[in-house]
Amino acid sequence: MSPVDTETLLQTHVPEVAFSTAPDALVHYACDWTRFHTPQAEAVLWPRTTGQVQQIVRLANAIGKALVPSGGRTGYSAGAVATAGEWVVSMDKMRQIGPFDPVDRLVSVQAGVATGQLQEFAHAQGLFYPVDFASAGSSQIGGNIATNAGGIRVLRYGTTRDYVAGLTVVTGTGEILRLNNGLVKNATGLDLRHLMIGSEGVLGIITEAQMRLIDPPAASSVMLLALSSLDAVMRVFAQARGKLTLSSFELFSHLALQYVMNHRQLAAPFSGESPWYVLLEFDHASDTDEDAAMAFFETGLESGDIEDGILSGSLEQARQLWQYREGISESIAEHTPYKNDIAVRISQVPTFMRQLDAVLKQHYPGFETVWFGHIGDGNLHLNILKPEDMDVAEFQRQCEAVNTHVYGLIESLEGSVSAEHGVGLLKKPYLHHSRSQTEIALMRQIKQAFDPNGVLNPGKMLPDS
Amino acid sequence: MKILVPIKRVVDYNVRVQVKPDGSGVATDGVKMSINPFDEIAIEEALRLKEQGKADEVVVVSIGPDEAQQQLRTALAMGADRAILLQSGEAVQPLQAANALLKIVQEEQPELVIMGKQAIDDDNNQTPQMLATLWDRPQATFVSKLSLENNKATATREVDAGLETIEVELPAVISTDLRLNEPRFVKLPDIMKAKRKPLETRPLSDVTGDFSEQELTITQYEAPQPRQKGVMVESVDELITLLKEKGLVA
Ligand SMILES: Cc1cc2nc3c(=O)[nH]c(=O)nc-3n(C[C@H](O)[C@H](O)[C@H](O)COP(=O)(O)OP(=O)(O)OC[C@H]3O[C@@H](n4cnc5c(N)ncnc54)[C@H](O)[C@@H]3O)c2cc1C
Repeated sequence: MSPVDTETLLQTHVPEVAFSTAPDALVHYACDWTRFHTPQAEAVLWPRTTGQVQQIVRLANAIGKALVPSGGRTGYSAGAVATAGEWVVSMDKMRQIGPFDPVDRLVSVQAGVATGQLQEFAHAQGLFYPVDFASAGSSQIGGNIATNAGGIRVLRYGTTRDYVAGLTVVTGTGEILRLNNGLVKNATGLDLRHLMIGSEGVLGIITEAQMRLIDPPAASSVMLLALSSLDAVMRVFAQARGKLTLSSFELFSHLALQYVMNHRQLAAPFSGESPWYVLLEFDHASDTDEDAAMAFFETGLESGDIEDGILSGSLEQARQLWQYREGISESIAEHTPYKNDIAVRISQVPTFMRQLDAVLKQHYPGFETVWFGHIGDGNLHLNILKPEDMDVAEFQRQCEAVNTHVYGLIESLEGSVSAEHGVGLLKKPYLHHSRSQTEIALMRQIKQAFDPNGVLNPGKMLPDS
Repeated sequence: MKILVPIKRVVDYNVRVQVKPDGSGVATDGVKMSINPFDEIAIEEALRLKEQGKADEVVVVSIGPDEAQQQLRTALAMGADRAILLQSGEAVQPLQAANALLKIVQEEQPELVIMGKQAIDDDNNQTPQMLATLWDRPQATFVSKLSLENNKATATREVDAGLETIEVELPAVISTDLRLNEPRFVKLPDIMKAKRKPLETRPLSDVTGDFSEQELTITQYEAPQPRQKGVMVESVDELITLLKEKGLVA
């Protein structure tokens, strides 16, 4: 369709909806944080209400147009990219927050409300919205629900799913569903709300949500520990979970530490060198908490699992310690890393890492592997750096082969090929390593039921049949 | 040479404080408490002087509730040698604090008192100056660089017009500014060792007697007015019309 035709069509059928066909807007709105696909969208639409979203979906059905539901476009799986002349349905103008009910502790939000905006809102009520990660300033509640986003406090507070008390959704046929309505208990059959959570825009467009807010956490501190071995990591985790009230337990290797120190010009946290480091955030409000923390540390020190440790004395120092973990991704970006976000059961983490390291050493001796992750959730970020003398195309070709090893190993350990970034276009070819053929077939039937004409995010998540 | 470092337990700098509904103060329940950041810098400076061999003992003192022992323990773990807590359940005004510190100064006879230029809870910026006056010794305030030589301290001060370097005769009072240094992290093994370092506690009234100059009481706390939400205008004309409506331009 020529831009003029598109404009006429939109102006005629959805006259209230703001849109653009300007080339720079199209490129901007056709991309998320992945950079593997050539952006190609036909229009960007900015509805302001559920009703307008419904009009758009009905029009798409009538003319056979594909839609890409679009949030903050911070996704890492190409779920929100447009590559085939789709219309991008952006939630950027659906940013209303409120009303808030203090008895229910529920706040109604439109899907375009940014994660950070909800956190701020909760704070202003003296409450807390615990889902948090580095992209919280731009990612949206709609996108978070569509990916069931996790982040740095999953260990303690769970994922986005745990905070969704109600949803308003426009299905692929343009029906409006109001799901669960903020109820705490609701034993009335299949909970379609939970089907929508993590559905990556293939079943419906989320337009509004009722989000649960909770009590703010107690004062906390951060500990950075130097550990003697990978097995020590698991033992220290078990100890920490028993003795402390943990909200984060993050792992990174010495190599990762070196990259961050170089990149951010940070001083070495310890005088010695240890193979692994863990960062713990835990409740630290009373003398009892302090005693527990010290007892935990002393036990580890005596057993030899812990080699050294630092405790934050203020929130500023806590922030400084987090830098050693949060700066990793950025610090290796210039090495065009192969990235993978995977999960196994917590107890299987060392097995997975050892077996994969062995394979990589044997077949790809020139590769440098940087490990880090939300280890308390069994969630690992595997990063392989491109050797400097290898060109990008050759590196990508070899990484395709690495995938076979990674996913084979995940399958044998019954893990997940995508821990928290979703499937989108990126993980679609590998979904079968984590989900059985029967499951995938059922998913297709569910898709068929919600979106029989396939107008919502076609080509995403479900493998091509 | 002995250095005395007074420190205060305050609501952590990064906590967004909330005024209690009845306006009697700010909420501190479950709120992160830390060493006043300027005082942390003072401890760090004292420790660096000790590590350079310029001082041989660092004593930290705090006026505050029993819980302030936590902050004193942190100072000990950072490397201070001894700690004193003057227990007081009530908020203390600068003059009372300066008088109490004067008593400790007279007992301890330090050559140098290094302290934060102000506490971030009440932002008074008075205690160091008052202490120097009561003690009748020189002071160098808002210091961003410090060196000791021949019984003199050379201090670079941050003043409105720029930087000023002055020399003061010891003993003296130094108050620290933000750029003086970056405080170290506390090592967990040092926290363990710090448990064995002496921490003396005594009631504030022991040193101040029946000090009755508590003349200032704060009657009401209020949160600042929230900022008015901005409005987006579509055109310059609309902007001018709005400004005229509000009587901001003629
Ligand atoms: C620096 C950085 C750090 C990150 N850290 C984490 C982390 O720790 N944990 C984590 O889980 N993720 C993380 N992410 C990934 C990303 O932020 C999350 O997946 C987030 O939930 C995506 O939200 P979004 O609004 O940007 O969605 P988008 O990227 O816009 O979309 C994601 C998917 O949701 C669909 N979608 C968006 N809005 C709607 C809607 N209203 N209705 C239906 N479908 C919709 C899209 O079609 C797409 O499939 C990180 C990303 C970055 C850039």
